[in-house]
Amino acid sequence: MTRTKPKVAFFDFACCEGCQLQVANMGELLLDVLGLIEVVEFREVMSEKGPEKIDVAVVEGSITDKHAIERIKKIRDRAKVLIAYGSCATIGGVNGMKNNFKLDDIRKEVYGDRFNYFDTVETKAVHQVVKVDYFVNGCPVYIPEFVKVLKAALQGIPYEVPDHAVCVECKLNENVCMYDRGVACMGPVTRAGCNSWCINNGNICYGCRGMVSNPNENGAMDIIKKYNIPMDMVINKMNMYNKCREIDKREQKKR
Amino acid sequence: MLYNLSQYVVLKKEDFNGFISDLVKEQKVVAPVAKGCGQFSFEEVKSGSEISIDYIPTILPPKKYFMPRDENIATYDLSNGEDMEPVVEYEKMLLFGVHTCDLAGIQCLNMVFSERPRDLNYLIRKNQITIIGYECNFYCDRFASCRLVHNHSPNGGYDLFFTDVGDRFMIHVNTNTGEELVAKSNLLRKAGEKDFEDLQRVREAKNREFAKNEIPIEHEKIPELFDRAYNSKVWEDLDKRCVACGNCTNVCPSCYCFNMIDEPNLDLKTGRRYRQWDSCQNESFAKVAGGESFRKERGARQRHRYYRKFKYPIAKFSRFFCTGCGRCSRTCMACINLKETLNSLIKEQGMENPEAGKV
Ligand code: SF4
Ligand code: SF4
Ligand code: SF4
Ligand code: SF4
Ligand code: SF4
Repeated sequence: MTRTKPKVAFFDFACCEGCQLQVANMGELLLDVLGLIEVVEFREVMSEKGPEKIDVAVVEGSITDKHAIERIKKIRDRAKVLIAYGSCATIGGVNGMKNNFKLDDIRKEVYGDRFNYFDTVETKAVHQVVKVDYFVNGCPVYIPEFVKVLKAALQGIPYEVPDHAVCVECKLNENVCMYDRGVACMGPVTRAGCNSWCINNGNICYGCRGMVSNPNENGAMDIIKKYNIPMDMVINKMNMYNKCREIDKREQKKR
Repeated sequence: MLYNLSQYVVLKKEDFNGFISDLVKEQKVVAPVAKGCGQFSFEEVKSGSEISIDYIPTILPPKKYFMPRDENIATYDLSNGEDMEPVVEYEKMLLFGVHTCDLAGIQCLNMVFSERPRDLNYLIRKNQITIIGYECNFYCDRFASCRLVHNHSPNGGYDLFFTDVGDRFMIHVNTNTGEELVAKSNLLRKAGEKDFEDLQRVREAKNREFAKNEIPIEHEKIPELFDRAYNSKVWEDLDKRCVACGNCTNVCPSCYCFNMIDEPNLDLKTGRRYRQWDSCQNESFAKVAGGESFRKERGARQRHRYYRKFKYPIAKFSRFFCTGCGRCSRTCMACINLKETLNSLIKEQGMENPEAGKV
């Protein structure tokens, strides 16, 4: 019995397309994954436009203008399953930094005198605009996790983004803690799932996967104070990826 | 203390590297090595010179060899029904240089996994691991509390046990496996009277060193302390400070919780079932169906951790599951310190006895 392969399409919004590049660079594993699916729309590696209905839409990037809102709604209508992938899509990511400023100031900065011709809206993560079925956090995505999510999506079973700290994986990998090296690390408040990728390679965690759902922000501040780390540096780091979290908080309050 | 002469052999320090090289020829040898920043880990070594014999407890305890962080349990095939094929992964190896606190940790795990239904994966693997213990003549650091729980001195759980007595090691031979190791080596000699005197001298000095009163409560009164302290204010303080990073449980030699995960292969028909360390400090651990967390407060999770060390196992296994290794305090992001917590509880409950534990 031959089964038709599920049709998978990739779309991008405001982002660097680095996550798609991660996928394109998967090598051998990519070929295995391609055995499983039919890619119908993927700007990074092919140009043809896909059919009307798709099984899985993989969406990268955050939603930053009215046109994007319309586009993502259409994609949602076409797709049985929607996967948001990369930090820009799942948590707003670095694009969220825009929300630190007044929108008009941003437009003036970017477009100068002609700013009125270009619309912009508050940066949002994809789930802040349409329903998202699966999240692959990370900047860029961690390929083993992406493959895991893809398999879950094709099997129709849920995938839960880990809701514990990167420290957990970091300890399991038996790294010497960055704080013991005298460097601040966002691991304690950042969601795991990347197998503490950066720390394994000698870097700190930048918090790219977003914050755990129930972070002890005061406790984290205590840690930071104890290690004499300048507070504004930390706020910058937290903001770098997590600014759009404020929209989630606002929505929760409304409910 | 009574020593049985025939159970001891001696290794000169200058022969140490030769002894390790002989072991390495026979099997995989794992020992403490320096990781920088004053930290250590158990790693495979090929020679004695790689070993950091004066080490403080490693980042992860030797538990990682007894219950690996990811362990395959079965493979499955869903093509015809639900075929499950059990898998046991093990490897013959020798652990060198295990401190008495970690020997106690392995004993705790042995008890847990020997309970019925017995955990065959664990027991099969454990039988492939030879253990050489190593005595601490001094406290490793201010975080250790091995004395309080009586784990500062050897109490079984090893095949051979090394004590540094100056220019040589006194080695206690505890099992058949240990005897076989001794028989194979031509670097060891039988212990004599002088060696015993030296061992006794070292142990007496150690007793004085470890007699400093770590925590002012009698060992026997600890369960009572925890009976009384369930609603203590101390847990509220921990609630404010803990960031739930899970470090304290991941590094603990006697934490054994795991999560079972099914991972399909790319064909989506076959796959593996594996287990992975889990921790009561993780947000998702206590989540029950419906997404409600029954131990939502970090303070309650911390309390649970302490009760799993100092209260519940007393009833079940008649021993403390805190080995006193100090890892949780050493690694805590929020500087939550087990000895300080105990001290606060003792003070709050008015159970201080400054004379307790003094020799
Ligand atoms: S290095 Fe970062 S992630 Fe790792 S334990 Fe330390 S704080 Fe946590
Ligand atoms: S370690 Fe931190 S910054 Fe690096 S991939 Fe993981 S979450 Fe992102
Ligand atoms: S290590 Fe400290 S901060 Fe982390 S979970 Fe344990 S008590 Fe909380
Ligand atoms: S509770 Fe802390 S001191 Fe006790 S065994 Fe666990 S890690 Fe070691
Ligand atoms: S806790 Fe005690 S037994 Fe363990 S390493 Fe430190 S001094 Fe040695």
